[in-house]
Amino acid sequence: MPLITNYFLALTLDFYILTQPLIVIPDKFLMILMIVRVRFHGRGGQGAKTASRILGTASFVEGMNVQDSPVYGAERRGAPVTAFTRISDSEILERGYVFDPDLLIVMDATLLASPVAKVTDGIRKKGAIFLNAQSANIIGEHYTLPSDVRIASYDLTSSAMEMLGKPIISSASAAAAARLVGLVKESSLEQAIVTELEEIGLSEEMIKKNVMLGRKIFSSLEPLELATEESEKKLRIVPLEMITSNDGLEDIIAVGNSKVAKTGSWRIFKPVVDYEKCTACTVCYAYCPESALILRQDGKPEIDYDNCKGCLICYRECPPKAINIEREVIAF
Amino acid sequence: MELQSKYKTLRDVPQIDYLAPGGSLCAGCGGLLAVRLFHKVLGKNVVWVNAAGCMTIMVNYPLVPLKSNWLYTAFASAPAGAQGIRDAFDILIRKGKIPESEDLKVVVLTGDGAAYDIGLQSTSGAIYRNLDFYYLCYDNQAYGNTGFQVSSATPVGSATATTPPVPSEPAGNIQKRKDLFEIWRAHNPPYIATLSSSYTVDFLRKVEKGSTFKGPKLYISLAGCPTGWGYDPRETIREEKLAVETGIWPLKEAVEGKVKHTVVPRALKPVEEYLATQSRYQHLFNPVRRKEVIRSIQEQVNLYWEEASKREDFEIKLVNT
Repeated sequence: MPLITNYFLALTLDFYILTQPLIVIPDKFLMILMIVRVRFHGRGGQGAKTASRILGTASFVEGMNVQDSPVYGAERRGAPVTAFTRISDSEILERGYVFDPDLLIVMDATLLASPVAKVTDGIRKKGAIFLNAQSANIIGEHYTLPSDVRIASYDLTSSAMEMLGKPIISSASAAAAARLVGLVKESSLEQAIVTELEEIGLSEEMIKKNVMLGRKIFSSLEPLELATEESEKKLRIVPLEMITSNDGLEDIIAVGNSKVAKTGSWRIFKPVVDYEKCTACTVCYAYCPESALILRQDGKPEIDYDNCKGCLICYRECPPKAINIEREVIAF
Repeated sequence: MELQSKYKTLRDVPQIDYLAPGGSLCAGCGGLLAVRLFHKVLGKNVVWVNAAGCMTIMVNYPLVPLKSNWLYTAFASAPAGAQGIRDAFDILIRKGKIPESEDLKVVVLTGDGAAYDIGLQSTSGAIYRNLDFYYLCYDNQAYGNTGFQVSSATPVGSATATTPPVPSEPAGNIQKRKDLFEIWRAHNPPYIATLSSSYTVDFLRKVEKGSTFKGPKLYISLAGCPTGWGYDPRETIREEKLAVETGIWPLKEAVEGKVKHTVVPRALKPVEEYLATQSRYQHLFNPVRRKEVIRSIQEQVNLYWEEASKREDFEIKLVNT
């Protein structure tokens, strides 16, 4: 008897499953999805990762679905860093890198020339680029962009120097992105800045300054219509150039070949020697970790700007204060 | 008899660089500066045997700043790698297969993670076998390469990614640093020294002095870490100097087991001056001042110098707690 009961039960269950539709499509998937993809390009230490988190949290506060994630290699502070934020009014089914951003936030103009960062790769039609610089004209020197890509710029680093005393622009970049995307209220941005910066352990005073900075940037920019409708994905064929192993061999076996990395693009400030004041004491030479400073015949230093990472130890330690600093503004 | 050193002032820093610029390490890296200075004294005939750590990133294949030789090993096994190279050279030279002029100095290069934790036993083995090699540990007091997690070199009070100040442990890291200098000394190697790039002449002299000994020559260099410690990269030398001036980083050497402090500050500066400049210690000052933690750090430093001054008979003015 129990056997039969089980049999019947099984039958009923089968029947139940078969009468249900095989694929469940919730109503919201039948609507047109609104999704904005933002890609941040910065340098390690500038705050690209935090910027993407602040933007994500601010949008989350607004009730959106969000994703944010950073990606960086084995290199450190100063090396190119990329971070992503996706914002949508519905579930986000995409994962991983943002290859086709609606909005690009370029936090450091020197990245425009970096073959590693490839900042404008995959920018969408009618997308937008924001450049942390006084003027966006330098983009044209490096890239030819489709005419419908909009360009905005603002000198975030100067504002950050002025208000925080440091060239860290996480909240400034997040504010710029939030304003340009246009889905976030100023109050939500403030809340997000506080939440995220508290989490990384900033002091209350510093968080306040960051909120002020965020407000300033937010009110200085105008929103752009960015939200795109799903989805214009096409398979792309990427043509690869034929390179024989001999093409790179000479560089690969050369002694001390790291020079070609040109880490000079990591700098935010550059040290400049005042040769009048210099007493050829060689302190700067002894303390330069990068070996990016050589001594001339007269014992005075010559800085290798292609490779100097701008740590500014030479500026700090120079006994007669013969090394000055200048803000790096020109992309190479 | 004291060795007549050729290093007397900063002007004597050898003007040959065996490292090219363009490596991938952080700007202002104290560890890289230590490697650079160490290399200057040893000259070009060197093979670095590198355990996993920050200095792995110095080489970003195929871009290599080192103009000498480099062997990369697993975290635990750099001294074992050094033994292999040393033996191979010895045998090849003895058999006359390579001339003596082609011999290389074997230098193990590890961070504090490999030196204090993961590679401690293979180091112990190499010293025990009286391997003729150099060992340079750049001590940035945590696993800096992977995001500043606690190591057994992390000092009390330091916040790290794995010992953040939390309500149950408001002081951050509560474990005391291992005393690697004494662990090594218990093995009776001919030469051990602590270094700091900020005391450059002392640094160069110790490397020079060590190279007169046959057998293990072991060095621990303080390595200011702007990213992990949380200070502006330009302050690396200042931070390291402060560590010495506050007595937190004693500069000393042990020749055949006999310890001598090579730099003795006339009066110690309060440890607070050092702690307050770094964000890894900010929780000791903000939002409330953790007097008891700061005092206990100061007491540890005082105790160390009190004992050292008695042992070596020198005068030092301690900080009142």
